[in-house]
Amino acid sequence: MRWVDVKEGFKEFLEEFKREKTGIAGVILLVILVLVALTAPYTTIPDLPEKWRSSAYWEDNPKNVPPTWYNMFTSQKLVPQEVYYINDLKITHPSDTRTVIEADYNFPNRYILGPQGIIIRGLNVSVGDPMNAPVFDLYLLRPDGKKIPLLKNKPLSAGTISVGRDSTISANVYIWLVNVTEGREITMFEVPLQTILISDMVAPMFAKVEPGMNVTQIIENPEPLWGNYKLVLDINNPAPDKNKIMLDNIKVTFLGRSYGTMGTDYLGRDLWAGIIWGSRVSLTIGVLVSVLSTVIGLVYGVTSAYLGGNADEFMMRINEIFASIPSLPILILIGATMGHITLMFIVLLLVIFGWMGIARISRSMALQIKEQTYIEAARALGAGNGRIIFKHILPQLLPYAFAVIALSVPSAVIAEASLSFLGIGDPTAVTWGQILNAAQNQAATTKGYWWWVLPPGLGIAVVGLTFVLIGTALDKILNPRLRRL
Amino acid sequence: MGYLKYLAFRIVNALLVLLIVTFIISALFVRVAEESNRSKMYEELMLWERTEGAKIKQSQGLEAFEQAKAAKQASLEEKYELNIPYWQKVYRKAVRTLKLDFGTTSMPIFGTNNVSDIIKVAVPRSILLFTTATIIVIILGIFLGVRAARHAGSVFDRGLSIFALLTYSLPMWWTGMMFLLIFAFKLGWFPLSSMFDPQLTGWAHVKDVLWKLALPVFTYVFVVFGGWAWTTRNIMIGTLQEDFIMAAKAKGVPEHKIIYGHALRAAAPPIVTMIIFALLGSLGGAIISELVFNYPGMGRLYWVALQQNETNLLIGLTYFFTVLYLAGVVLADMIYGFLDPRVKVGASARM
Repeated sequence: MRWVDVKEGFKEFLEEFKREKTGIAGVILLVILVLVALTAPYTTIPDLPEKWRSSAYWEDNPKNVPPTWYNMFTSQKLVPQEVYYINDLKITHPSDTRTVIEADYNFPNRYILGPQGIIIRGLNVSVGDPMNAPVFDLYLLRPDGKKIPLLKNKPLSAGTISVGRDSTISANVYIWLVNVTEGREITMFEVPLQTILISDMVAPMFAKVEPGMNVTQIIENPEPLWGNYKLVLDINNPAPDKNKIMLDNIKVTFLGRSYGTMGTDYLGRDLWAGIIWGSRVSLTIGVLVSVLSTVIGLVYGVTSAYLGGNADEFMMRINEIFASIPSLPILILIGATMGHITLMFIVLLLVIFGWMGIARISRSMALQIKEQTYIEAARALGAGNGRIIFKHILPQLLPYAFAVIALSVPSAVIAEASLSFLGIGDPTAVTWGQILNAAQNQAATTKGYWWWVLPPGLGIAVVGLTFVLIGTALDKILNPRLRRL
Repeated sequence: MGYLKYLAFRIVNALLVLLIVTFIISALFVRVAEESNRSKMYEELMLWERTEGAKIKQSQGLEAFEQAKAAKQASLEEKYELNIPYWQKVYRKAVRTLKLDFGTTSMPIFGTNNVSDIIKVAVPRSILLFTTATIIVIILGIFLGVRAARHAGSVFDRGLSIFALLTYSLPMWWTGMMFLLIFAFKLGWFPLSSMFDPQLTGWAHVKDVLWKLALPVFTYVFVVFGGWAWTTRNIMIGTLQEDFIMAAKAKGVPEHKIIYGHALRAAAPPIVTMIIFALLGSLGGAIISELVFNYPGMGRLYWVALQQNETNLLIGLTYFFTVLYLAGVVLADMIYGFLDPRVKVGASARM
C-alpha cells in the first residue's frame, strides 16, 4: 500500500463518517469524556485517589446529603453548605482577657431543616500557664431571642468543636429544650442517651421551641424557625501573655443538608469529584482491555485459520477451554485470593478472559481470505507464515477490528465496574464500581440515596453509549459485507 | 451419516474440554483451599493441645506429649489432605468432581451441608427468576424485532434501535439498584429485598414468591429485550433481502406468511442458538444481580460460598456452570446442524 492510497482511503472514510449522525454524536461524546477525564485534577480536587479513602479529609462535609440543585425540583428545600473563614467572622475583644467570635447564619425561608451540624476548627492554642488555661462558652442566639448554651466553661484546646457529633453538646441542647418547653432544669444524667445519640439534635436548634410544646415532638418533627442566627464563641483567656490563641486558620462550617453538584456519601465524600475521577479509570480500562483482547483475538484467530489442520484444532480447543470457564466467578476468586489488586492486573485478567469471541469470528473470516489466490501466490513466492499472516491477512481484518474494539469497550467497562462493585478492585484508584460498592454496602438504595447510585451508573452507560455509537457507525462504513448481525 | 459422525465428534470434544476445565478449576481451588485447611488444622491442633494434650502432659510427661502431638498432627494432616503433594490433591479433587461427588460444606446453607443438595435448592430458584425473564425477553424481542424489520427506518424501528443501544451499555445490577430506588423505595410497589419468607406455605408462599420475583424479572427484561429485538431485526432485514423472499413476494404470497413462514424460518438457526444459550445461561443466575436484589438463587449462593471460603461448594457450582455451557454448545451445534443443512455438509466435508 502506498502512502497516497492510505491518505485517499482515510479521506474517503472521513467523508462517509461525517454522514453518520450517530457516529458524529459518539465522537462528540468521546471528546467530552476525554476532556473531563484529563482535566479531573484541575476541575475537582487534585490527588483525589489518595484522599478518597481517608475519612478525616472529608470531615467538614455533611454526610449522605443530596446535591444542592435538587432544591429546584422539590418543595422541601435543603440548606447548602456554608463556610466562614476569619474574614467572614466578627471578632471582638470586649476586654483584655476575652475574645468573642460571632458567625451570622441566615436560615432562609421555605427551607425545611437547618444545617446538619456546625464544625469549628483551626483554633491554634498554646498554653503557657496551665493554671490559668483559656476556657470558652459556645452558644447559639436564635431569631426568637432565645439562647441555646451549647458548651459552658470548657477548656480551650486545639481540637475541633463539632455541633451535631459531640454528645455533650447534644445533651445540652436536650436540657435547653426541656427547660424552654417545661420550664424545669434537668441535669446531664436525666438526658435520655438513646435519644441524643440516635436522633438529629441539630434540627431542633433551628426549630420553633415554645413553652408548652412536647420535646419528643420537636425532635421528631422539627418545625423550621427561619431568620438570622448567631453562633457565638466566647473565649476567656485569664493569662493573655502566656497563653496564645491564634485565630488565623479558624474555619466555621455550617454543614449543609445538601452539598455540591452530586451530594455526598456516608463519609461525606464529594461524589461529584469521585465520579469525574472515575471516568479516568473507566476509559483507560475500557479502551486498554478492548484493544488488547481484540489484537490478541485477531492474531490468534488468523494464525489458527492459516495454519489449519491439527494446529487449528488444537488452538480452537484451547479457545473453547477459555470460553467455557465461567469467567466472572474465576475473576472473583483470583481477586479474592490475590488480596491487593492493581489496575494493570485487572486489565490482564479481563484480557485473558475476553479474547475468545473475537478469535472465533476472525478465524472464520480468515478462512475465507486464506483461500484467495494472492495468498497462494505469496506462498509460491516463498513468503513465510509470519509474513503472510501479518502482511496479507491481518490488514484485511483491520477495519473489522476497529469496529470490534469500539463495540467491546462497553462490556470491558461493565466488567471492571462489576469487579469493583464486588469489592475486588484497585484500592488506590477511585472507580465507579467502587462508589457503587460503597452504596450497596451502606444500603443506599433502601434508604433512597439516589444521588449516590444514579450518577456512577449513568457514567458507565454514557461511556458505553459513546463507543457503541462510534462502533456501529464504523461497522456500517468499514464492513458493508462483513456486517456483524 | 455425516450428521451423526459430526455430533459424536462434537460430544467427545465437549467431554475433553470438560475434563481439562475440571482440572484447571481443581488446580485453582485446591490452591485456595490449601491455606484455609492449614490454618484449620493448626486451630484444631491448638485446641487438642489445650485439652487432651494438657492432660497427657500432666499424667505421662513431656515426652509422651510430644509423641502424641506428632501423631495427632499426622492424623490431622491426613484429614485435611496436607500430607500429599499438590498435584495429587488436584488429581483426586478433579476425579471426585467428575464423579459428581462434591463433598460437604463446613457450614450449613439452606439447612444442609451436602453441596449437591445445596445446589439442588438454589437451581430451581434461579430457573424461576431468570428462565421466566428470558422467556419473556425472547418472545418480546423476536416479536418487536420482526416488527422493526418489517418497518425498517420507521420511527418505531429507530426508537427500538436507540433503546437497544442504550440498554446495551447498562450494567444490569445498576439498573436493578435504580429500579429498587424508584419502584421499591420511592413508590413502594415492590419489596426492597427479594428474600423469600420461609414461614409462608401454600398459596401465601406462591403469592410471596411472585411478588418478590416481579422487580428482578422486570429489570432483566428491561435491560435485555432491546438487544434481542435489535439482533432479530438485523437478522431479519438480512433475510428479507434474499432472493427467495423476493420470489415469494412476486408470487403474491401474503406478507404475514412471508414474514413468519419464510423469513423467520430461514433466520431461525442463529436465533435458535441465541435462545439455547440464553436459556442455559439463565440457569446459572447472575451473581451481582441476585446480590443487589438479595435473591436466594445460584448467583447469591456463589457469592456466599466465596465469602465463607466454601471451596467444595465453589467447585460444585463452577463445575455446574461449565457443564451447562458445554451442553449448550453441543445442543446448539446439534440444532444448528438440524436446521441448517449447509452445516452438515461443511462438517462432513471436513471430516
